[in-house]
Amino acid sequence: MADGQTITCDALVVGGGIAGLQSALDLADQDFSVVIIEKDLSIGGKMIRLSKVFPTLDCSSCITTPKMASAAHHKNITIHTWCDLKFLNSSDGIVRAHVTQKPRFVDEDKCIGCRKCEYACPVYVPDSEQGGFCATKAVRIPFSNAIPQVAALDPEFCMLCGKCEKVCPTGAIDYFQKPVDFTIEAKTAILATGFEMTTIKGKPQYGDGDVQNVITSLQMERLLAPHGPYNRVLRPSDGMEPDSIAFVQCAGSRDKSMGIPYCSRFCCMYAIKQAMLLSGSLPLADIIIYYMDIRAFGKGYEQFYQNAKAMGIQFVKGKVANIQQADDGAVAIRYEAQDGTGVTTENHDLVVLSLGVFPDWSPKGICPVSTGKDNFIQTVQPSIAPTLTDREGLFVAGAAAGPKDIVDSISEAGAAAMEASNYLMALGK
Amino acid sequence: MTDPKEKTEKAESGKSEKIGVYICYCGGNISDHVDVEKVRDEAEKMPGVAVARTNSFMCSDPGQELIIEDLKNGLIDRVVVASCAPSLHETTFRGAIARAGANPYIYDHANIREHVSWVLHGEKATFKAEKLVGAAVGKASLLQELDPIRVDARKHATVIGGGIAGLKAAKVLAERGIDVVLVEKSPYLGGNAARLDTIAPFGEKSAALISELAEDVLARDNITVMTHSKVIGFEGYVGNFDLTVQTTFADAADHEQAAGHYIPTVGVITESATEHIIETGAVILATGFKSYQPRHGEYGFGENSAVVTLPEFIKQMSEVDPSKTELEIGSRKIRSIAMIHCVGSRQIPGIHEEDEDGYLNEYCSRTCCSAILHAANQVKEIFPDTNVYDFYRDIRTYGRGQEELYDQAANNRVVFLRYSAEDSPVVTANDDGSDAPLKVTVKDGLTFNEEVEVAVDLVVLATGMEAASIPELVSMMKLPVGTDKFLQEIHPKLAPVEMAVSGVFLAGTAQAPMTIAEACNGAAAAAVKTASLLSKGHVELDPYVAEVDQNLCQGGGACIEACLADGALEMQDVKTAEGTVKKARVVPALCLGCGACAAVCPSRAIDLKGWSLKQYEAMVDMIVAED
Amino acid sequence: MSDESKKEAMKQLRAERKSSIQKAAATVKQQKKELKLLKEHLTGDGATAPEIAEAIGINVSQVIWYLATLKQYGEVVEGTKDGCYFKYQLVETDSAEAA
Repeated sequence: MADGQTITCDALVVGGGIAGLQSALDLADQDFSVVIIEKDLSIGGKMIRLSKVFPTLDCSSCITTPKMASAAHHKNITIHTWCDLKFLNSSDGIVRAHVTQKPRFVDEDKCIGCRKCEYACPVYVPDSEQGGFCATKAVRIPFSNAIPQVAALDPEFCMLCGKCEKVCPTGAIDYFQKPVDFTIEAKTAILATGFEMTTIKGKPQYGDGDVQNVITSLQMERLLAPHGPYNRVLRPSDGMEPDSIAFVQCAGSRDKSMGIPYCSRFCCMYAIKQAMLLSGSLPLADIIIYYMDIRAFGKGYEQFYQNAKAMGIQFVKGKVANIQQADDGAVAIRYEAQDGTGVTTENHDLVVLSLGVFPDWSPKGICPVSTGKDNFIQTVQPSIAPTLTDREGLFVAGAAAGPKDIVDSISEAGAAAMEASNYLMALGK
Repeated sequence: MTDPKEKTEKAESGKSEKIGVYICYCGGNISDHVDVEKVRDEAEKMPGVAVARTNSFMCSDPGQELIIEDLKNGLIDRVVVASCAPSLHETTFRGAIARAGANPYIYDHANIREHVSWVLHGEKATFKAEKLVGAAVGKASLLQELDPIRVDARKHATVIGGGIAGLKAAKVLAERGIDVVLVEKSPYLGGNAARLDTIAPFGEKSAALISELAEDVLARDNITVMTHSKVIGFEGYVGNFDLTVQTTFADAADHEQAAGHYIPTVGVITESATEHIIETGAVILATGFKSYQPRHGEYGFGENSAVVTLPEFIKQMSEVDPSKTELEIGSRKIRSIAMIHCVGSRQIPGIHEEDEDGYLNEYCSRTCCSAILHAANQVKEIFPDTNVYDFYRDIRTYGRGQEELYDQAANNRVVFLRYSAEDSPVVTANDDGSDAPLKVTVKDGLTFNEEVEVAVDLVVLATGMEAASIPELVSMMKLPVGTDKFLQEIHPKLAPVEMAVSGVFLAGTAQAPMTIAEACNGAAAAAVKTASLLSKGHVELDPYVAEVDQNLCQGGGACIEACLADGALEMQDVKTAEGTVKKARVVPALCLGCGACAAVCPSRAIDLKGWSLKQYEAMVDMIVAED
Repeated sequence: MSDESKKEAMKQLRAERKSSIQKAAATVKQQKKELKLLKEHLTGDGATAPEIAEAIGINVSQVIWYLATLKQYGEVVEGTKDGCYFKYQLVETDSAEAA
């Protein structure tokens, strides 16, 4: 794409996660033209990074990749990845977005995704797509089922040694690539900007990120994923197969002292799911979930929870007071049990924190859409039209309007697409 | 590069010698139990197989690309994919084949996940996977190019159910330019929501929400509202359904208000149309839920009038005089209330009592925690001196604004007591001498399972949701129903509002318990699928239908007698050299593709496209073949 | 762009990115050294992460990080289990190149 270019379409979808993809597909299937902009190197959002999904235990890829592929190949959908949204507003039936596409240092049209550059690159870089548990290279395909299958070079770790350029069969490496600014002119937009999770850092009671073998739930997803860093569950401090794994629920949610007073909504279910998957791969391990309330509210969720109990996963009601390093890489959890045994300390080989969920994108300074006091995008008719924002022509779907599991995000994405379609119809498309 | 189309045509004379087999690891879902590489090795040796490849996710873009490349390069002219159930990704792979410029029906699918790796392990699993791949290869060798059946689709949808979800679906579809008939069995629009007062967690008036939607629906020219009506006939196929609607005015309530007015506790009254056959393109089921009705004696319900359900309590509260200093219901002073969660929900086999059909509501009703906390807050905010005791198992205030209700309840000094399913609270007559008629006893999990007794004037049961009883619709429309008795979607993520019957969609609590917001999202999601389906003016159906070989047909009519779909097979007069004879003819759009006709034809004149007897024979040959 | 002007442009880019290039070069040097040591201890039946760490004096968490990485790039395979740990083995050079 040329710098300064303007693209026109019927609908802009901000965010290529599961909600954005579903909205885009539901609009495009009605013959509206759609542009998706995605901040990451690949579409797929959080969902494509997961192992399996509750309550069906389908592999997450099996559900996400077909939607990614159908969006990527849809005649009415254009996808731009690695983009920063600089400005977005709607007025008089026109939605205008200013976007900067960051340089990948790889020509997207020339790259054929052969990974020769990645194999040739001598620099090992912590792979954030694998929870940091192993390395990728300074130039790489982001992950195995990324779309687009186009390499990207991280200039922070690049020595400019030229090896990638030499091996590239199509001459796609471009060390001089510059950011490209472009404008999208649409008639409506759907904000599907998703969520992010708080980090362990800054939580002294949970070890501030300094206790070995205390990991986040997204890291556990990688350990359980088919293409995970170890292809099995090992504890990251020394590669030991864990005998005892604990989940700490509400580690950052429902807690004003953590800055997140609300419920993060899907942590109970993914912890139960991870526990189930662990008990499948490590049948002899003790698996304990420390919780306040189990919120298994969706279709089939309660039955899923009861199955987990029947499988021998232990549910301990109690608030975890603190987490400390114990001997030999073990993790000591101190908690107050509500069964009357009082304050108890228990050691585990691996501890997973169900951290808080917060909005991944703030419209502040970019888009005049309002947010609630929870910082998620505010909706103006929360009961009968939950996807309407306070800006005409701008709609919201998925976790951008509050934590939401995949099922609810997909449903809401369809609803946002319907409202956006009708807005387009009213404009006289 | 060879044109793949040319290749397939060439192969039509005999069996294909260019079958491509693509076997999926499905992450570890398949490869953890099936030796995928061994299956590949075996497949490569099978007759007609040109290439056999594996991929960790065949449905991913790189996986699909393997198939596309091989087709484009002329290496293959038939495709076998061995992966998950075809219901998940058949369309994915057909799409990939079409993108390569080939006919999407030159492909067959072997399900080696649900039928193999999820149920078998070790050598058995690998053996069965090989056999299923073999069968698919056998069939694929005889596959022909087919064209989907294209039929006109009516730009018209029928919504069954006039509650919140039905109203929302009708409104957004009409806005989209699709004509809608809304069929409601009662005289009113608004459904269960009409029995509510204010809605958790944001406190909107239910009456206002219903009125807003209903006024919009009633004002639109392209929506016909049929109240007092039920669907008693269902025929046709996607894009072209004929619904018979029966309208009875007998149970019309005797209301003096004009149509369009909101009547407290029931909804907006309407005038009814009298149309009886609806020609429509799609059907949205918004048949809603019914409130759980406690058994006689369950927590004292039915034995003591001071035990009420939450909907009853909401109605009582809406009639309370808020200017009084004390809460009074029916002139009885209520100083102390017990609220019990999970009544008729989250029932556990062996702990809870089954209903007369041996059934338990094992699911969570999702909405009751917020609803009862909202009610508790209302009580405490108007009558702070009324004691409210909340007996819960888990507080499930999961949604935006809901946790605040819980915090607020704690601030309002609602007293929480936690019980376990094994030790549910017991409601009995109070004998402590006070004037409170009831006492609730529980082992409180928040105070180390100490037994606690609370004397109360009122017990409110947070009754859950049950699937609405619609047995006629279920059997007439052949609707799949889940073990929880709610209507069952195809897949919670891939096709969350679609039903197995093509052209039939789900909206709101017909599917599962949900809030008004979630029901409206579900309704709009169902509407967007309906709009995608109907806005093109035509739909494409799979060509797997019966086909009559006119040369072989003797006109005996056995096929017509065996046919399960009315009108799918008919006799026609055909002029031949010997004069006019009768021969069978298929109406493709109506044919179910069941094969009942093929089974009875004495001259083997009728067969199924894409599933022919020869293809079955080839499959069986491969399955019984010695290694 | 011509070879000459590209050379010049590369030179300029190197100057601009001097600090990150130096940092990356230092990292690569360290990684090469550690990987060489590590691979030397992966011969034969292989070894577990703690065994390797003990032998080469590198933090065990760093060792498992390298092993996981080499496994991703097909240079190392997981071997038999030894207690709670898995042994890791080098892949024969031929297949490593093929991978």
